[in-house]
Amino acid sequence: MKKKDMVLFVSIIIISIFGLIMIYSASNIWAEYKFNDPYKFVKNQGLFLIIGLIMMNVISKIDYNIYLRKSNKILLGCVILLILVLIPGIGTVRNGSRSWFGIGSFGIQPSEFTKLALIIFTSKYLCNNERELKDIKKGVLPILIITLFIFGLIMLQPDFGTGVIIVMSIIGLMFVSGVDFSFFIKIGMIGIVGIVGLIAIAPYRLKRILSFLNPWQDPLGSGFQIIQSLYAIGPGGIFGQGFGKSFQKHFYLPEPQTDFIFSIISEEFGFMGIIIVSVLFLIIIYRGFNIATRCNDKFGKYLAFGITFSLAFQTLLNLMVVVGLIPVTGVTLPFLSYGGSSLLITLCSMGILLNVSSYNKM
Amino acid sequence: MFFKHIHIRIRIVFLIIVFIFILIIAKVFYIQVIDYDKLNNYAKNLWSRNLPIEADRGIIYDRNGVELANNITTTSLVLIPNQIKDKEDTTKKLAEILGVSYDEMYKHVSKRTSIERVHPEGRRLSYEIADKIDSLKLKGVYLVKESKRNYPNNNYLAHTLGYVGIDNQGLSGIELQYDKYLTGKSGAIKYLSDAKGNKLNLSEVYEQPQDGININLTINYKLQEVLERELTNAVKRYNPDHVIGIIMDPNSGEILAMSSRPDFDPNNYQKYSKEELNRNLPIWMTYEPGSTFKIITLSTALQENKIDLYKDKFFDGGSINVDGARIKCWKHGGHGEETFLEVVENSCNPGFVVMGQKIGKNTLFKYIRNFGFGQKTGIDLNGESNGILFSLKNVGPVELATTSFGQGVSVTPIQQITAVSAVVNGGILYQPYIVKSLNDPETNSVIKKFNKKRIRRVISKKTSKEVRMALESVVTNGTGRNAFIDGYRVGGKTGTAQKVNNGVYMVGNYITSFIGFMPANNPKIVVYIAVDNAKGITQYGGTVAAPIAKTILKDSIDILSIKKPKGASEKEYQPAEKKYITIPNVIGLERKDAIEQLKGLNIEYSGSGNTVVYQTPKAGERILEGETVKLMLNN
Repeated sequence: MKKKDMVLFVSIIIISIFGLIMIYSASNIWAEYKFNDPYKFVKNQGLFLIIGLIMMNVISKIDYNIYLRKSNKILLGCVILLILVLIPGIGTVRNGSRSWFGIGSFGIQPSEFTKLALIIFTSKYLCNNERELKDIKKGVLPILIITLFIFGLIMLQPDFGTGVIIVMSIIGLMFVSGVDFSFFIKIGMIGIVGIVGLIAIAPYRLKRILSFLNPWQDPLGSGFQIIQSLYAIGPGGIFGQGFGKSFQKHFYLPEPQTDFIFSIISEEFGFMGIIIVSVLFLIIIYRGFNIATRCNDKFGKYLAFGITFSLAFQTLLNLMVVVGLIPVTGVTLPFLSYGGSSLLITLCSMGILLNVSSYNKM
Repeated sequence: MFFKHIHIRIRIVFLIIVFIFILIIAKVFYIQVIDYDKLNNYAKNLWSRNLPIEADRGIIYDRNGVELANNITTTSLVLIPNQIKDKEDTTKKLAEILGVSYDEMYKHVSKRTSIERVHPEGRRLSYEIADKIDSLKLKGVYLVKESKRNYPNNNYLAHTLGYVGIDNQGLSGIELQYDKYLTGKSGAIKYLSDAKGNKLNLSEVYEQPQDGININLTINYKLQEVLERELTNAVKRYNPDHVIGIIMDPNSGEILAMSSRPDFDPNNYQKYSKEELNRNLPIWMTYEPGSTFKIITLSTALQENKIDLYKDKFFDGGSINVDGARIKCWKHGGHGEETFLEVVENSCNPGFVVMGQKIGKNTLFKYIRNFGFGQKTGIDLNGESNGILFSLKNVGPVELATTSFGQGVSVTPIQQITAVSAVVNGGILYQPYIVKSLNDPETNSVIKKFNKKRIRRVISKKTSKEVRMALESVVTNGTGRNAFIDGYRVGGKTGTAQKVNNGVYMVGNYITSFIGFMPANNPKIVVYIAVDNAKGITQYGGTVAAPIAKTILKDSIDILSIKKPKGASEKEYQPAEKKYITIPNVIGLERKDAIEQLKGLNIEYSGSGNTVVYQTPKAGERILEGETVKLMLNN
């Protein structure tokens, strides 16, 4: 066994610690107001970070081939959890979605685990069915059906953001595995037809969706979050207001430590801060793809790519929302947004990635 | 290679991801650098809260820098409801101090607004109340400076200065007319706040209020004081419906003083009716001028060479027949044969009718318009009237005749004094004005100066001189002798006009007026006084208004440093030949007959009946012409 990817490891540590600091800065006002304890959120997150880093280290030492063998069981377990979470009394509702198993003030989202489980399952499936992949019906359709089934379960919560990330991660994997381009074009067209259909059923959706283009049309309704986000990013300027000096965290931006933490980073550290954070993400994504490329074994390749792509897609989805490029979807920013189970699962998947890296040829 | 296909696709994915990252960074760059100013402004507006600080209103001065309207600084209560945590307690304490009901105060305290003024109970607080509130140190409760308009001389010049409302907005007079200059720009204490309205402990910005522009008027404080005093005295003595007084510098059109009764105190304007507040009588009221208007007829006749004051003669038989109508002279039996100078001295109506006939209607009305009648003078004050003239096509011989001696035209006091100023200043009509300059509030240096505005030449210098001389002789020898000041040269003309109500002349209800100027050879000052419906006295301009004007002219000698003339004059100087009159017995006579018997004397009554029961001085005593006889009437 060779050494794991140190660049990736160090980047993960840096971005995680930076995330913890930013959660403190973004949340202390709210935490003080809601819980009379400015450290409330940062303590929770800190605990998850420690657990997460330990788990990442442990997992990075576990041979990833174990997932190849256990992938069915893992996925089955996750699907059971996804069903259980829908039952009132077992799953709890937060922010309008029944996505959580509540343990005290902590919460676990089974959809996060399912994401990883499905990536593992798909990676295995792609290894085992390499020949059938040329045939859409035989090769692609089964995994697509499983994916859509899981997407359906998640949409029952509902958690559109996580659902989209899962679907896109699987599609990304299929793209890399060599499925015909034409297939993706068809999927894209189906997607567009689907969106048009949804809008046709309820035309108000179009207004909501398009509100990101001009949030000032409805500044207190659908445009509220994006306007508050722009009011954070804009005044940040090139060098930012300085650490801890965000104005928007003073109750202007709701829950600034979660989905919109990037706005607060922009406000406090300015354009320079954004470049640094983006570069850190790009290093992680680059290293992840690099691990996939250098892996000798196909399962490891798919696994490393799937994990990295999922992380990248989630990151881009969040950032595009925050800067107003796409409508609000409710996706957290990996490593930086507050959220225990999200961080935990991200760090676990990084553990797997690090493990794959340790088998890489130099 | 075996995995080549996968690697290419991974690379494609990576490139797409990098591309989207670049897109995101570009968007951030756009937001933070290109859209920075806009968003930063919006956000600053969102974060910042203003506690307004009122600017001082510009001070209004007289021509010599005496303050006529200034400001008193007071404090007002301002609430920031979001910062008030304990609403019940705050409400209770404030309600108690301000004497407001709990419920009403609670409405203010709990209002969903960023800044709430407690209006009007929390405005203009006394020092004690402000101190009490301050000592409570309540959160979200602020005391801010407010500036209250103050008129140190109360009623003094009230209609002209005007008054301001609770928000210091000009509502009438100069305050309204020059509101945009007088109003300053409010300042503020700006602080940053969170979305719940709490003050963030960051720097406060103090934005200094910009005080309003000061105004210097053409008013002479001392002359105004004299005028106010005399109008007050006139009200006490005669209890008239109105009294109006204007003092003008005839050589520029500057208003030196201006006032009227009834007046009001702009510090407490709420106590007065709208009519009392907003009717600035010297520019608003219109009425028949009566004999003062004869100055216009006289000037026209002289300018057009229609008469010679000394050579042309006229026989006044007590009335004149015009187109079948008999127009009487005020003097029963008439003045007999007179020169036209004597016509002027005697204010003889038939004589002026003849003068008007000689001029002709076209020329007379042309001059009347040229002197500014029938249109606004354009004085820089609100609420001026036009006055009414006959339209030329409706002027027949009777209308021409009555217009010649000041009946059938309707004019404002300001039109009269402006026209007469033109007559006596050498013939040039100036636009009257009252604002001399606008001054910087810090340094009081002049920002904008208003100069005299010549409208037109109406008569020649020579005519002007001749009219001055004639009018001087009215004071020296004629009906205006009650305005005579020993050792000084005064010119003037009396007026007694019957008031019209619903198209009918009212009985026993006159506007008596006098317009005088001094020195008669080179006038520095023109005074116009009108008393509307003086009671308890025979209502003649010579007996009611002329003495008032005389007192004012006398006082102005010192104020304007008018020198005593030394011999040389336009006309050989003659002191009035005062005649002694032996008083007849009027006890037992009807009031009307008694007045007839006592012609040339000033009469004061007591009692309300129609028969004289007592007189003083007694019959047979000799007194000087123009002195007072007191009559007691039966009840």
